[in-house]
Amino acid sequence: MMTRAFPSGDQLENLLVVHFRPVAAGGDLARRVLDRLRDDWDPERFAARIQVEASERGIRTVRPGGRVLPPVSRAAKRMAERARAELHDYLGGRRAFFSVPIDFAGTRPFQRKVLELTHRIPFGETRTYSWIARRIGHPLAVRAVGTALGRNPVPILVPCHRVLRTDGGLGGYAFGLDLKTRLLGLERATPVLEGCATTGIVCRVGCPDAMRMRDDSRVVFASVEDARTVGYRPCRTCRPGAAAGA
Amino acid sequence: MMTTDRELMHRVARGDEPAFTELSNRYSARLLTMAWRLLGNRADAEDAVQRALLRLYTSAKSYRSEWAVSTWLYRITTNVCVDEMRRRRSRSVLQRAAQEDADGQGLLFPWGGGHGGGPAQNLDVQRALDRVPLEARILLALRYVDGLSYRELARVRGITVNTVKSQLARGKSILRTVLQEGGHRQRTAGALTRGAER
Repeated sequence: MMTRAFPSGDQLENLLVVHFRPVAAGGDLARRVLDRLRDDWDPERFAARIQVEASERGIRTVRPGGRVLPPVSRAAKRMAERARAELHDYLGGRRAFFSVPIDFAGTRPFQRKVLELTHRIPFGETRTYSWIARRIGHPLAVRAVGTALGRNPVPILVPCHRVLRTDGGLGGYAFGLDLKTRLLGLERATPVLEGCATTGIVCRVGCPDAMRMRDDSRVVFASVEDARTVGYRPCRTCRPGAAAGA
Repeated sequence: MMTTDRELMHRVARGDEPAFTELSNRYSARLLTMAWRLLGNRADAEDAVQRALLRLYTSAKSYRSEWAVSTWLYRITTNVCVDEMRRRRSRSVLQRAAQEDADGQGLLFPWGGGHGGGPAQNLDVQRALDRVPLEARILLALRYVDGLSYRELARVRGITVNTVKSQLARGKSILRTVLQEGGHRQRTAGALTRGAER
């Protein structure tokens, strides 16, 4: 016996219309958004205060203010300027990765292992102290991991703010838990992959090529593969497909 | 006479909060539904819509009036939702890694899984939609929440009208196949149950 295929075109249309029928939103939505705006933390002002020390090999320290030693060479000065520019873009929500190298020379072997692993935690993601302890082969050294991160000489660039407690607690942060929360919130609000509707190229947010993009050309993608399915190609400068984390 | 969206948008650019509230109220139900259907639960959807509206407010000065305000709003909201989908995918990769890990300790999963229902939600349709690739699913959501035209859909996602058409056709074809399979299983299960009752 032949049965008619379910669903027919009209039935599918009806199912979709019903499924996507608008549901009422709370009346105070706009007020809640305006409340979020009252926050007086100014990331740009914070970025302007940040001090950076560098060698020719990379960044050695990042501090939220205070004085630092003058650069030892022109190359070190350029390195520090590059880090400041990247931090400025990051805090302004225009960068989802850092490309400036880190000079870990002044750190002890255990701390170095912890910092190098933390350095690979992808933007917008979090890990726990015990995850780090296990991954570096010292599963019982959870507290030592916390101490090593607490003395992180290059915060933000080595994202120790992405390391939390196993129970979901924030843990500690050398520059205060308030800043840790803000950085995690900032990373939640900054997309990672952006396509340019004019050129059809998809970039990592922060790519120098993408910086020139007009605001109304920016289209966010969930993966390079998704972008390809609708005709975009990955950028050859920032190579978004090759970016991998810890 | 009702104030147009564009007039409201220009007032928002000057920091006019009542204009922002009016504009938000006009679109909140449609934006929330789209985000809810894409993200699967109301809490995440509300957060996404709030973040989108926040962006609308802070970037109102860069709004260009050749854009319909609705198209602009859908662009911003889908951008927020899509980034949330990316974050979830990388979390589920982590989740799998944790399961493979012997003691499985040390990872956080503070997000809610599954679908939070909502009025008139058809679970079969939702499950079938989950099988549709993300870009096509977004287009279906925009098309059916607010009846956007092919041109508007193309503008929202920065793609060609032809890509919109082929993605929508592909999405619907997958939906039909999955719903057919589901319907067939249900009929078979029904026949078996009736058989057992005899």
